Amino acid sequence: MNGKKKIEEMGFEESMTALEAMVKRLEAGGLDLDESLGIYEEAIALRDHCRRILEESERRVQTIAENAAGTAVREDLDLNV
Amino acid sequence: MHPVSAVMEETITVTQLNTRVKGILGTAREVNDLWVAGEVSNFKRYQSGHSYFTLKDAGSELRCVLFRADAARIGFELTDSLEVALFGSIDLYVERGSYQFIARTARRGGRGDLYARLEELKARLRAEGLFDASRKRPLPLYPKTVGIVTSPSGAAIHDMVVTAGRRFPADLLLAPAKVQGEGAAESIAAGIALLDRAGVDVIIVGRGGGSAEDLWAFNEEVVVRAIAASTVPTVSAVGHESDFTLADLVADVRAATPTAAAEIVLADRHDLSRRADGCLVRAGAAVERTLLRMRARFGRADTSLSPRRAAELVAMRSLEADRLSDRLDAVLRDRVVRMRGRYTAAASMLERAARDLVPIRASRLEAAAGRLDALSPYEVLGRGYGMVVDAHGRALTSAASIGRGETIAVRMRDGTVDAEVKDVRSR
Repeated sequence: MNGKKKIEEMGFEESMTALEAMVKRLEAGGLDLDESLGIYEEAIALRDHCRRILEESERRVQTIAENAAGTAVREDLDLNV
Repeated sequence: MHPVSAVMEETITVTQLNTRVKGILGTAREVNDLWVAGEVSNFKRYQSGHSYFTLKDAGSELRCVLFRADAARIGFELTDSLEVALFGSIDLYVERGSYQFIARTARRGGRGDLYARLEELKARLRAEGLFDASRKRPLPLYPKTVGIVTSPSGAAIHDMVVTAGRRFPADLLLAPAKVQGEGAAESIAAGIALLDRAGVDVIIVGRGGGSAEDLWAFNEEVVVRAIAASTVPTVSAVGHESDFTLADLVADVRAATPTAAAEIVLADRHDLSRRADGCLVRAGAAVERTLLRMRARFGRADTSLSPRRAAELVAMRSLEADRLSDRLDAVLRDRVVRMRGRYTAAASMLERAARDLVPIRASRLEAAAGRLDALSPYEVLGRGYGMVVDAHGRALTSAASIGRGETIAVRMRDGTVDAEVKDVRSR
């Protein structure tokens, strides 16, 4: 996609922004059918990617505290929720 | 109604009346969970550990009780003539028919001191501009990591973790803090700074509900300044809806509760999913409009090239366009990749067809032109031929005299069709 990042490497915000930009381009018109379909194809991939992020992301819940040496240490937090 | 008959209707015992008054006092907001300030006198601690004393000011006295468990939490000794503020509620001692103040916690200095300090601090920080609306920053739409400063054991962190689990997926990073009592303010301030350095995208600072005393750390200057100094946006979530602290004034966004804070910081997953789907629906509609536009263009070009077969060709092309449109619908439902290949094939087929037609038409037109000398052109037109003329109305007899992109017209029996030349091929 125009020498930009691979979709899999994109974050949610980036994907959503790209997706919205594509809609704007398509809605502005002036593209031939082949270009339109190319963009549409990318839009599908981005939408699927957004869904994957929303549904499949692992979330970490951690605590952070400074130890005696002043280094920030992270630990998993288990609240049994 | 006569007063006597009212008495006749209901006669209750002293105990019943006192119990009734106790009930009224126990539910009256005006005398429950409040601070009262005055000077301690007649202080006496009993064997049980409970303390009894009188709190007085220039005009009045109040009998007070401080139970052992509460006394242990205060952190200083109450003594006679000490100016204090007590937090607690009025209660009626049914046996004596007298009311007393059940103190649950206390502060040195009394009301004047405590609230005057708060008001002074608020005014000073406001003058510095720390509460200005212009300082408020927007929250990130899709934070990767949400920092939280609160107690690791309270209801607040539990509520926030549970709520976050239903929302936009983000990591949560908790800086455990002491949220009430000695050193709480410093602990909260340190947590904010620590999370800021750790590179979180937004920080929620808060705790669950409690008394005004319990929430007091969130009024301390060190906390307010730590929130103001945070380089990432902050959300305050202190106590309940009705609680307001200086932390709420300085934070970029004030949430009514910790749960509400998690909801403000993390968008609803289904809303986001719907938003992405909405983009796709709009994109699909735009592609379809492009398709319709192309179909219309194809249709006009065909008519101009071959008036005789125009109707037939247009019908054929629109059929193809319809098929392509159907395919596009399939694309909208499923994968575009395979469809795109097919579409490309169909499009090149169209192009080929249009290309092949031009020489055939050119020869027909030449033959027709040869006969124009002998026959009335209008009679010829009546037989289904078209006369091709240039922009000035001159008849065109040779493909070589027509350039790509030129405007030509085809005169038919009952009218003229204006057309644009797509391509020219000489034999």
